[in-house]
Amino acid sequence: MASNKKYWKSVEELNKNSSIVEKLQQNEFVEEIPTDEFLGDKEALSSSSTTRRDFLKYVGFTTAAASLAACEGPVIKSIPYVIQPDEIVPGIANYYATTMADGFDFANVLVKTREGRPIKIERNTLSPNEGSVNGRVYASVLSMYDKNRLQAPLVNGKEVLWDEFDTNVAQKMNEMSGKDVVLLTQTFASPSTSKLIKEFTAKYPNVRHVIYDTVSSSEALDAFQNKYGTRTLPDYDFSKAEVIVSVGADFLGDWQGGGYDAGYSKSRVPSTSTGSVGKMSRHIQFEANMTLSGANADKRILATPSQQMQILKALTGGSTADLPSNIAEAVESAKSQLQKAGNKGVVITGLPNVDAQTKALDYNANSVVLDSDKPKMTRKGSNAEVKRVMEGVVSGSIKGLITVGVDPVYSFPKNKEFTEGYKKLEMSMAFSMHKDATASLAQLVAATPHYLESWGDAQIKKGTFSLIQPTIRPLFNTRQFQDCLLQWTGNSKKYYDYIKESWSSILGGSSWGQALHDGFYVSNAEVEMDETPMTEGEGSMESMTANGALSSTSQDGGMELTLYTMTGMGDGRQANNPWLQEFPDPITRTSWDNYITMSAADASDLDIVNENVSNGALNGSYVNVKVGDAEVKNIPVIIQPGQAKGSIGLALGYGKREGLQKEMQTGVNAFELYQDFSSVQKVSIEKASGMHEFACVQLQSTMVGRGDDIIKETTLEIFNTKDKEHWNSVPITDYDHSEISVRERNADLWATFDDSIGPHFNLSIDLNACTGCGACIIACHAENNVPVVGKEEVRKFRDMHWLRVDRYYSSADTFKQEIEDLETLPAFDLYEKVELPYQENPEVAFQPVMCQHCNHAPCETVCPVAATSHGRQGQNQMAYNRCVGTRYCANNCPYKVRRFNWFLYNENDEFDYHMNNDLGRMVLNPDVVVRSRGVMEKCSMCIQITQKTILDAKRDGRAIKDGEFHTACSSACSSGAMVFGDVNDKDSEILKVKNDDRMYHLLENIGTKPNVMYQVKVKNTTES
Amino acid sequence: MSSHYEAPIREPLVIGEKSYHDISVDVGAPVLGKASKSWWIVFTIALIAFLWGLGCIIYTISTGIGVWGLNKTIGWAWDITNFVWWVGIGHAGTLISAVLLLFRQKWRMAVNRSAEAMTIFAVVQAGLFPIIHMGRPWLAYWVLPIPNQFGSLWVNFNSPLLWDVFAISTYLSVSLVFWWTGLLPDFAMIRDRTTSPFQKKMYGILSFGWSGRVKDWQRFEEVSLVLAGLATPLVLSVHTIVSFDFATSVVPGWHSTIFPPYFVAGAIFSGFAMVQTLLIVMRKVSNLESYITVLHIEYMNKVILLTGGIVTVAYITEYFIGWYSGVPYENYTYLSFGAATGPYWWAFWALITCNLIVPLTLWVKKLRRNIAWTFFVALVINIGMWFERFDIIVVNISKDRLPSSWAMFQPTFVDIGTFIGTIGFFFVLFLLYARTFPVIAQAEVKTILKSSGESFKRLRAEHGDHVGHVEQYPASGGPATNVEEKKSELDLDSDKTIGNEDALIDSETKREQIDAMLIRIGSYDPEVNSPDDLKKINGVGPVMEQKLHQMGIYTFDQVSNMTDEDYDLLDSIIGEFTGKAKREDWAGQAQKLKNN
Repeated sequence: MASNKKYWKSVEELNKNSSIVEKLQQNEFVEEIPTDEFLGDKEALSSSSTTRRDFLKYVGFTTAAASLAACEGPVIKSIPYVIQPDEIVPGIANYYATTMADGFDFANVLVKTREGRPIKIERNTLSPNEGSVNGRVYASVLSMYDKNRLQAPLVNGKEVLWDEFDTNVAQKMNEMSGKDVVLLTQTFASPSTSKLIKEFTAKYPNVRHVIYDTVSSSEALDAFQNKYGTRTLPDYDFSKAEVIVSVGADFLGDWQGGGYDAGYSKSRVPSTSTGSVGKMSRHIQFEANMTLSGANADKRILATPSQQMQILKALTGGSTADLPSNIAEAVESAKSQLQKAGNKGVVITGLPNVDAQTKALDYNANSVVLDSDKPKMTRKGSNAEVKRVMEGVVSGSIKGLITVGVDPVYSFPKNKEFTEGYKKLEMSMAFSMHKDATASLAQLVAATPHYLESWGDAQIKKGTFSLIQPTIRPLFNTRQFQDCLLQWTGNSKKYYDYIKESWSSILGGSSWGQALHDGFYVSNAEVEMDETPMTEGEGSMESMTANGALSSTSQDGGMELTLYTMTGMGDGRQANNPWLQEFPDPITRTSWDNYITMSAADASDLDIVNENVSNGALNGSYVNVKVGDAEVKNIPVIIQPGQAKGSIGLALGYGKREGLQKEMQTGVNAFELYQDFSSVQKVSIEKASGMHEFACVQLQSTMVGRGDDIIKETTLEIFNTKDKEHWNSVPITDYDHSEISVRERNADLWATFDDSIGPHFNLSIDLNACTGCGACIIACHAENNVPVVGKEEVRKFRDMHWLRVDRYYSSADTFKQEIEDLETLPAFDLYEKVELPYQENPEVAFQPVMCQHCNHAPCETVCPVAATSHGRQGQNQMAYNRCVGTRYCANNCPYKVRRFNWFLYNENDEFDYHMNNDLGRMVLNPDVVVRSRGVMEKCSMCIQITQKTILDAKRDGRAIKDGEFHTACSSACSSGAMVFGDVNDKDSEILKVKNDDRMYHLLENIGTKPNVMYQVKVKNTTES
Repeated sequence: MSSHYEAPIREPLVIGEKSYHDISVDVGAPVLGKASKSWWIVFTIALIAFLWGLGCIIYTISTGIGVWGLNKTIGWAWDITNFVWWVGIGHAGTLISAVLLLFRQKWRMAVNRSAEAMTIFAVVQAGLFPIIHMGRPWLAYWVLPIPNQFGSLWVNFNSPLLWDVFAISTYLSVSLVFWWTGLLPDFAMIRDRTTSPFQKKMYGILSFGWSGRVKDWQRFEEVSLVLAGLATPLVLSVHTIVSFDFATSVVPGWHSTIFPPYFVAGAIFSGFAMVQTLLIVMRKVSNLESYITVLHIEYMNKVILLTGGIVTVAYITEYFIGWYSGVPYENYTYLSFGAATGPYWWAFWALITCNLIVPLTLWVKKLRRNIAWTFFVALVINIGMWFERFDIIVVNISKDRLPSSWAMFQPTFVDIGTFIGTIGFFFVLFLLYARTFPVIAQAEVKTILKSSGESFKRLRAEHGDHVGHVEQYPASGGPATNVEEKKSELDLDSDKTIGNEDALIDSETKREQIDAMLIRIGSYDPEVNSPDDLKKINGVGPVMEQKLHQMGIYTFDQVSNMTDEDYDLLDSIIGEFTGKAKREDWAGQAQKLKNN
């Protein structure tokens, strides 16, 4: 478009005849620039002090300066405190007492925080519930730093502000008025929450509260309720037991809430301190799956769940007529032993059957082991009610569902129907930390904080009230369930004030501050808890039980499936926790998976194989498993020694897909087989094609007859009657044509270190007390920044665990027989006889192994750069900075405890676990270096902890008390198996156990003189 | 110059009618000639393998050792297997050059050069592995006891790995010096024979100015002996120390006192097998059949038989001690687990078959002297010795004391690629060597020509041990003093021309041109004429005189007949004083001198 506008630069241009304008059209400047005057005058130029070289220097400098200025300085994300809080001193850890109560695990814990970050969970040793702290509890701190957490409330999948969310909820609640809405929650065991829920249901009378335990203990609750009137779980103190007969109860696992290993271990250590005869309990286990409890038992008898029912009946007065002879015999023997033990005998059962639970309760009525006065509150759910909710949603009679801390879309057995029903609900609201299966379908999703970011209370055991206090400000825009309820009931109080108020009756005048400091308060105050739903008649419960799996013994070609929870994963609510995923199961030593466990006999019938590929990694066949209409396809199978023929096992808690990082979406969802919420099912099974790749860290399952060097074992009888030399002989060696003990100075090739100055640390592991639970592994992970390497790497035997718990099966009936087998093996026979585990019912032994901190360490001599060397306090130390990574030390380590950084495990997208994001790295312990690629690492005997203890005492100017020294593993061990201390302290516990008759060293004959010692395992084989 | 006596029934070490000149020509031919097509093909393959290996090494160093198949139990596998294998291969060279020198084994002269080259190239491959197997190879220099910025940090002298550092580096440097010393006269030979100025320059540098004076030879002999004395203990020490990596450890199956002698024997065993593999090919490709004869091959086969026998005894001893010690772990390692029946049965049987059974065939003289069979056996031994190291390293640590930590090993493509890469690298070096180095120690072979050369043996048979006939040999006196005898009696040179058989003239055309020139200017007949002192001519020094003698010019008469055409020819052949003869008018000067 043409324009007749004229643009001008100066008014002069408007003057048509201006000479300047004309001139400027030709020249840039009006006047000539006098360049000649300057450059032409050679004299002036030469007199100038700026030489050509100087000029170039200036140009160079300015260019460099300009480009440097253009570079951005590195951004360091550290912001100093504007006002330093009193209690936070950089470099000094603070501890807070709190309580974990996520509906599955309940425990009083201490939280270690550094610079305001919780970095580790420890046991609250003041608490009467200290025994219940397991690996999942230790790992829970990492679940807080989970980048997959919900970061804000969602309305129809969109992130909103809480105000908007509240408006939506209010609107929805009004819409729903008069319609059936269910508030489906986990067990809180919280007096304040109960009260609050009552207030909420009072305001919205159409809402009814149903408690749902993902893994049910309903039958035991029913039985207890029938007998004692409260819907709680009986508590057992196994430390008082003399004879423990367990019928399918994995009480060292998660049976009825778990947490029994501490008491059990106390009864298992044969004490000889008084010089009198050693006494220990006798543990007889009847079971189908190989469980932790069975593995620790003195006698383990295989019985399918249906046989277990008969066994229980026989034990409690019935006849043994229908049982196979070997079981009948064992039952008779158990009966007589129980009788002898009187009120110190106890019968427990894990059968999902009210009748069975009642029988056991009746039997134990007079036992000192059973505590019915102060029962446990950690489970509350009723199968019948939950089932009604499930069916109500499926049928459409329930119009609204609010879920809190549970994930029914994932964990309800009628999965597909329920999912459809759930989608059709008029109102669906989920309180969740993750966008789990339920939350991803819910209209309203309330993002909840982790327990370390919340206030709360819990009554884990009657009379013991615990407090939950936050240890960090909520990381995300979350609000806890209780605060929401307060908001929605129009209460202006914060939940903190609400608890404080409701605790006034509990405290009865005692100090709130003290209770908060301790984390718990013991009181006899009766506090109203959740309403107790009325149970149906016993008959109806019986009929509900698992399509009659327990009542029928007839074999119709089906298998009896026992669903259980794995030590690491529990019910799966921490599935996004890489520590737990990588935790090898104590029994199968397999991580990152769940699987069917099956007996070798059944496996060969079904043509199912387990094989090791050329790098030793385990592969296994798949099967399809069917319960009624429900079918789960492609479940991998591990052939499990000691699995009762005709039975299979499968772990719940795996197979989650929603809200999880891809790597953590492991295993199959066994909840689909959890029909009627019964852990025992009758199933049909068929082989499927293909092979599954397992991440199993142990290739060889037996000790190949090396028991005397690895796990020394004896029986109580021999222990009490024979000399120490007989059952715990020290290896001998030749010196000057005579045989001497390897502990003698002359047996030693090396000069000894002077260890008399300062502390000299030793660690003792009592194989009698150790149940193999592996809590120490997680504690070690958390303390020492041990990297997570992922399934593929674990499969290649490259797990980085500084501490492992070896599990051995015997190749014969017993380990003793295995040693004999090796000794009597004909000269040219293959060693297969001692290499293959006895499939039917082997003896099992656990042994935690970490760096043995040898005083004559084979690793130290071979390092060319002296990166690993001996410390003054007995440790074998590793200087990561000096390590060049020849791996010679690892080859030469007889205990194989050294771990090599094959790759860069932090800030590397190939290893996308917590160390690869800023949030996950917040869990790192700043006192322990994160190792780089290419260096060797290993247990340091937690030198950062021991040094701190020494320095603290030094600053206070006092001597160190016995018991002050500890390592992450020893303080995590609730069963008291690990004792750590200074052997230069003549009154110390560790010196006592060092001089104990049961003390021996692992592979002592090599002469490495370790600072870690073991206590001989004693089994109580007394039959009558 | 009389010669060392050798019994006539002994087989000759140099076969065919070889003269000193022929030796020079034959040895110089691969260096001075053009590379054949097959050389280029093999070189290309080797280069590709090398580059592939280099890629694998770079990948390892940039990503981490995790790209190999190792795990927490098996910290060493192919890396150290390859290391020990290559070090072992590197053993034959020094044994041949040092130990056999001290034992005056003349047959070593034909093979020592290549064996030493192989040693050095193998040690280079071996040296790679300890570096790249480190988790942080960029810190490899920390294993050296050098002053450092970290304060008082020092290496750990207890560690066998550190001993390795010293042993391997000493071995490499002594071998290199020894090799180079032997090469000096031969480099000088090539320097003198080449026509390319570049080659002349390069070989001039490489030969350190070797002039062939008696003093040179005397020092050469002395240094050789001293180095042989130094290198002999190294033959034993290097693999002894490598074996300490295992023997001083506590791993059952590694911890064994028999390892040092067993490893040394195994190393010589595999080293000789590799020498056989290489030389059987090389003698064919480089037309050296006259020098590397079936006899040499048989001798080496005998060494293989001996060392193979030692290795076999060592195996048996290990099994016996495994049983005799009564230690269950030893027992387990050696008696059952079977190395023989376990998951690594194939490695075990590969070892037994390759190292024990197949070499036994060499007891048969026919097979020992059969080149094809020898080549096959040598290859088999090379494979077997690799498996032996694999067995020792991987199989033993895969089942250590604590069964809970037992594991197995599977190589990744990086493991395999790196190994193949070193084989490629080795052959790249060896092929370059074969094209640029005198592959036979010709100077040394010449010293045994008269005692062990086939033609001389025949002469001896004809003439008896009287040395008179030897004196008639042309090369024993001045270059041209006995040309006629040579012509008439030996008839070694069918050419009618005289006195031009030396290194200066290497092509037929030049020879013809010189013949034409001699016809023009007149030839020299020592029967009739007597030589003049050509040095009297201004511009002719002793060197130039020698060169003129080499062309057959001895008298002033001949020089005086020279024309411009002859001057040009002179220039083109001598090449150093272009136009000098013409400028200084040698013909005119000679004319005057002749007349005096």
